[in-house]
Parts: sequence; C-alpha cells; structure tokens
Amino acid sequence: MSDFQKAFVRSQLARLPSEAPLILDEAEEETSNSFAAAHRDDDSSSASSASSVGTIIPSPGRNLFARSRGPSARQASNSLSWTDFYAQELFLEHAVDALHITHHAYITPPNGSGPLFVMHHGAGSSGLSFASCAKEIRTRLPEAGILSIDARYHGGTTIDSISHEASEPELDLRLETLSSDLVFIVTETKLAMHWDMLPDLVLVGHSLGGAVITDVAKRGDLGSKLLAYAVLDVVEGSAMDALQSMETYLSTRPARFASLSSGIEWHTRSRTIRNTASARVSVPSLLKEENDSSDPSRPWVWRTNLANTKHFWEGWFVGLSKKFLEAKGGKLLLLAGTDRLDKELMIGQMQGKYQLQVLPDSGHFIQEDQPSKAAQILVDFYRRNDRNALILPPKVGDMMASRAMEKGIGVEGRVGSANPFKKPLS
Amino acid sequence: MSDLDRAIVQLRACRPIPEPQVRELCYKARELLIEEGNVVSVDAPVTICGDIHGQFHDLMELFRVGGDVPDTNYLFMGDFVDRGFYSLESFLLLLCLKVRYPDRITLIRGNHESRQITTVYGFYDECIRKYGSANVWRYCCEVFDYLALGALVLGASSELVPLGTLNDAAQSAMPDGELETEVLNSKGEVTSVTYRKILRSSSDTSTDTRDISPPRDISAPPGETPSRTGPAGTGATGDSSGSLSTTTGAVLCVHGGLSPLVDSVDKIRLIDRKQEVPHEGAMCDLLWSDPDEIEGWGLSPRGAGFLFGGDIVKHFNHKNDLSLIARAHQLVMEGYKEMFDGGIVTVWSAPNYCYRCGNVAAILDLGEDASNGGTVARSNGDYGRSNGISRNESMERRIVGPGRRYRVFEAAAQDTRGMPAKKPVADYFLYVPGEELVQPVIGT
Repeated sequence: MSDFQKAFVRSQLARLPSEAPLILDEAEEETSNSFAAAHRDDDSSSASSASSVGTIIPSPGRNLFARSRGPSARQASNSLSWTDFYAQELFLEHAVDALHITHHAYITPPNGSGPLFVMHHGAGSSGLSFASCAKEIRTRLPEAGILSIDARYHGGTTIDSISHEASEPELDLRLETLSSDLVFIVTETKLAMHWDMLPDLVLVGHSLGGAVITDVAKRGDLGSKLLAYAVLDVVEGSAMDALQSMETYLSTRPARFASLSSGIEWHTRSRTIRNTASARVSVPSLLKEENDSSDPSRPWVWRTNLANTKHFWEGWFVGLSKKFLEAKGGKLLLLAGTDRLDKELMIGQMQGKYQLQVLPDSGHFIQEDQPSKAAQILVDFYRRNDRNALILPPKVGDMMASRAMEKGIGVEGRVGSANPFKKPLS
Repeated sequence: MSDLDRAIVQLRACRPIPEPQVRELCYKARELLIEEGNVVSVDAPVTICGDIHGQFHDLMELFRVGGDVPDTNYLFMGDFVDRGFYSLESFLLLLCLKVRYPDRITLIRGNHESRQITTVYGFYDECIRKYGSANVWRYCCEVFDYLALGALVLGASSELVPLGTLNDAAQSAMPDGELETEVLNSKGEVTSVTYRKILRSSSDTSTDTRDISPPRDISAPPGETPSRTGPAGTGATGDSSGSLSTTTGAVLCVHGGLSPLVDSVDKIRLIDRKQEVPHEGAMCDLLWSDPDEIEGWGLSPRGAGFLFGGDIVKHFNHKNDLSLIARAHQLVMEGYKEMFDGGIVTVWSAPNYCYRCGNVAAILDLGEDASNGGTVARSNGDYGRSNGISRNESMERRIVGPGRRYRVFEAAAQDTRGMPAKKPVADYFLYVPGEELVQPVIGT
C-alpha cells in the first residue's frame, strides 16, 4: 500500500471533527458577475452527498456534483477518493540516472477512436488536480480517455537512488527532466495498456505543467499523434514577475495541518481552490502524515517542499511564450481572471496564432474552480482540432474542375446557418 | 451648439458623457444603423481604418494624420473597443460623429463588438468602473448588433495623384507608369512608392522603395484631395485609366475576411445581422477569418472563422468584380500588409497595441476617380450583371486595383497618461489568498 493510499485510509479512520464549522457559501462557488451568471452551465459547486458512505469504495453511481441535501458542514471537508474520478491507476517503473522512479498516474482509457487527454499538474499539485475536470470531460465526450500524471516529488510518484548510499537523490526538477518524464509516461502507458498505437493526444498542462507540455510539444517527441495542446493559466511574462512574490507566499501559508479535513478546509476557505468537490479530491494528495511529527497535533505536512525547488523556477518559464507559438498543433491558452498576456503572446494573439479563452470568475486552479467550464472548453477545442471530423471546403481549383463537369452547379453554402463542414456534433 | 456637438466636444477631451445622454445617443445611432444594409455602399474618396481598441489618444492622432471628420470621409472596420483604457470614449466619439455626420463616417462591426468578448477583454469592466452599472455597456451592445457587416467602396481611382510636387531627383528617377501606392509617415513625408506599369500589359507592378524623404508640401491639410497636378507617369493621363476596357473594381471592406458560406457579396446581404456574433456560420467568419499563405481553406487557430488562401481571394474578387478586399483584425507591425498580388490588404490602426507591442499603425486613403466626370461605375458585386455586354474572351475587362495611399503613424505620446499603475502580479503556481486582482480605477 502506498503512502498515498495510507493517507486516505488514515483520513477516514481519523474522522476528526472539523474544528470550525465551515460556512459553505454555495452562492459564491463558481461565482460570477451578473452577466456570466446568466449563461452559467450546471456546475459542480457544493458539497456532495457522498458522505453517508464512510468508506472509499468506488461507487460510480454516486452523485458527486449534486447539491448537498441538508446542512452538513462536516461532510464538506471529507476526502473523496480518486476512484470516483478515474478508472485505474498506473505505476510505471523507470530506471534513469542511477535513480529508480515509480511514476504514478491515473488513467481512464479512451473508447474506440477517442482522444487521450494527457494532463500535467502545476508545482506543488498532483494528478488529482484534474479529477473533477476529467469526469466532466467524460460526460461531454464519453469516448475520451484521460491520463493524469503525478510529476516527480508530487503525489504518488516515488523516487529512490539505485545505489545503496543512504543519501537522498539530488533534487532534479529541471524542465527538460519533467518533459522527458512525461514522454516516458505516455510511451509506457501505451505498453501498459496494451495499445497497438497511441490514440490522438491532447496535452493539457496547468501552470508549471503548461510549461512542461509546451516543451514536449515543441520537442516533437510525441510525433504526429499530438493533435493539440492547452496551457492553463500561465504566461511567461507574468509568471516571471510573480516569482519574486513566491517565497513570501510560501512562508505565509500554513506549514502543517491537524487533519486532511482541515487541509481541505484551508484550501476552500482561503479560496485557493474555489470548489469544494474539487478540493476534497485533490487536497489529500498534496499532504502527507509525518510519522514522528515534531508537532503531533498537526502531523499533516506538504508532500512537496516548494521552497526547495526555488532554483528551478526561472528555468521552467524562460522561453515559454516562444515555444508555445512555435510548436506544431492546435494551441489553446486558458486564463483565469483577466488576460495577462506578455508582449509576445499579445502579438501572437492579435495575429490569430492561437485560441485564447479567459474565465473571469476563476482562480488560478481553473480546472478545479470551474471543472465543467474548463472541460467544455477542452472538449470543444479537441473537436475543432480533430482531424477525422474536419472537412474543409473545397479549394478553388477543385471547385472549378467539378463545376466544369457539372456545368454551373457550384458549391452553394447556406448563408447564416451552422457550419456545414463538420460532422454534426452529438 | 446642439447637445450632440457638446457631447462631441466633451468626448474629444476624453471625458465620458452622462448616462442618459449615452442612452439617447445609442437610440439615435440604432435608428440610423437599422436603415443601413449589411453591406454599406461608400463612395470614394474614403479613408479606411482598422482596429482601434480603445486607444483614444491614438484615435486622436489618427484624425490628426488623416484629417478630421467631416473633412475626411472615414470607414472604420470594427474593433473599436477592448484592451485599451478608453474604449468607452473612443466608441462613443465615433458613434457621435456617425449620428452627427452620417454620410461622412461608416462604422462596421468587428469581432470585439460582441457581448461575450467585451465581457472578457475590458469594455464591460470599463463601463462598470466609469458608470457604476452595466447600463451603458448594455446600450452599446445593442448598437453593436445593428452595425453593418461590410462596406463596398465604389468609384476609387486606379491612380494616385501625388500629394505634392516631387523634387527633381525623384521625378527623373521615376519609372514609366502610374503611381499605384504611396506610403506617408505621420509628418506627411513620402517614404516609399510603387508604380504600376502602363496599361494593358500584365498586372505586374514595379516596386520602388527608394527612400524619398521630404520636401513635401506638408502644409496642405492631410486627407484633402489635392488639385490635380498632372499624372505621375510620363505618358499616362487620367483618361487612359478610364478607357472602356479598364475599370477600377469595387473594394470590399470587412473586419475579418471571407467565409466558405459566402461566395458573393450578395450572400452577405442575406444574413440576418441583428444579433450577437454567433460562434460559427457566415457572420462569424466575416468577423473572424484571416488570409494565409495556403491553398484553399484552413482551420483558424483562433478557434473561430477560417484561414483562406490566395486562390480563394482571387476567385472571390474576380467573381464579384472587386479589385481589393480591405480588412483589419490582425496586428501587422508595419501598420498595413498587402497579400496575394494586392488582392487583399490588412489595415491596422492601433499603434503600439496594448501599450506594449511596439508596432506602428496605418490608415488607407482611396482617392476619387474623377476621370469619368464624377460618374461612378456601379460595381456592386452583382455577379453576371455585365453578361452580354462586354464579357467575352476577346474583350476581357481588366480590373485594376485602386491607387492606395497609406499613412503610417506612431502612438500618441500622451496615451500613457492615466495609465494605471502596474497590475498586481498574478501568482503563478499558487494562488495568493486575499490578493484578488484589483481593477485599477482610471479615467476619473
């Protein structure tokens, strides 16, 4: 049993009462200004009704995103199991540079010719950051598969020295290392799942993950299987600016928590994650329980020590905008709040080089704050870039040829009607 | 002085007008716009402008360079709002001018004239900030729905009349042919010119990009058609370009570009335009598509509209008796960009876009063809209208492009005034609690 699983079990056993009752302001979740509220889609706000079940047995039928039926502040900060969101988990062994890495990833395989969305989380997060969004993608595009990975030093991925020296392996979170890991995981997943070939790939990366998937796209290691890539809420220019304030931030957030529930509560109350269901599934993977804790009353600490990763920060984001614009494949940039494009991306956007979407009502964790909207955008993005579905209008040369044959019968479009050049969407 | 004139004065000073006045203005504008077809006919001379994006002080610079309304006849190809800090003042000023001088200014719709887009890219927030409610934004959006989708410029001259007298050196170096394009900087100095070979040869043009700096008569108010000082070419006379076998086709102006659903200008006229910009279909494409160096149609990376190649443009222009498509929508660092042998041009009128892109802007003057005594050859895009008259193999009419004068200008120095302090930095791999993005208060 991995540490990770233990963590879940413990959290269930502990069943600590939540300290302050959490005031769940449902109206505030996935909030919006008056306009956006008008066409908000369903949405995953609110506490779930799952809590009457005190176990972590998967039960797909559970209505996770239903409005809570009754006041249950305690339930609102219970953990949710990954099994409600992904079909299975993968442990992929990787021996490289005198290290033995067990890459951990969650997967829901695609059906038929469905695409595989490959998700890479941001620094300090985990593959469960995409859990809510993954589920929403599947409801909109049932044939889609999702592969969401835990990066090195994150979530359930473990790393040891092969040599018997007791020394800890040197921390390596360079961008190229993370990129190589992602390519390795995708390739290994194909073997582990016994696929003859890779499905069409849509890479999705949040924050640091956005830098990783952009790097992978630019390197072209995944070849023509890479259909498109989507970057969530990271822009080189403003990320570099933000680095200065990172340390201050890290020093002000709590270092430890009494329980998983209190960790979840902190994330929702501080509005770091603005959706309770998302926080309930993702936060437990961010924390680990210390065995001989210096503070036994608050044994839960961050799994990833972000302060130690400081010297990698700049390297993650340098050249991101250029790579994003230059790599092959459909490009989507999804930002939270306002558009904070740097000069390069601003020019690129105004020249029509990529698709930009902004969710004004979301925090940084777009895929967790607004899982259904993010999923809808990703699904639409895939559909638009799906090579099989796209039938472009004929070239003039072909048109003239066929016109010469049919004499006068040209291609007449229906004015003002829906686009007839795509397969009808479900 | 009427209320409208007073509003114009106030807006020219970059001060918003009161909400009830906006409401009345928008109401009047709608009454006016509803009478316009989807494709407005505009007679040359006209000055064509691209994206403005709320860069009010740059719009003032544009009027300085191109001449004021109503002295100069203007055509704005959309994207008045968003991104810049004075979308409100810019759009309301243009709208006031439209209501005051309906025949001297034409506004067509850009993809940013939409509820959905303005909610995200600044105009909505600006209205809330300046009025405390969304009412003004709502009035403006109703006007957006009535804006025309395109314009057809008729009666443009194929030949440019030089603005001033060329100095001897330039004159003697001038090749045979008529002046086809001329590029002026904001001081009115000619920076480059191209000549069209004289008639009936092929359509190739000789390009001459010598730097011709002053001396120019810059005292002449720009935008005013100067008196004819004689044709630029050696033998070419005004009459030669007006001979029977040669005609300047119409110029189609549209914000984005072509649509696979629109193979004739008349198809544009059939669209029901009074609605929010849809996500797909002909209306969406006209506002979102881009030309590209491809053959046929392509997928637009923007997520809406299409890419279209040179063959599509040539075919469309030929079929519709057009000599040029003028469009905006794409940032070009040089302010304008001609593609596909001059079949299409992008005009971009927001210098140093978003106060950081470092580009120059341009506007395009099309002169009036006076050779037929002011009679405009109606070239309204009716396919086949000339059937049986002169359209046969031996007498193929030759459509030549209009003479094009680009006025290139830079950002107004004062547009940095009132710029908000640097936005609070976003925190990129973690969200900083308690530090919500605060919208800066500006323009007050």
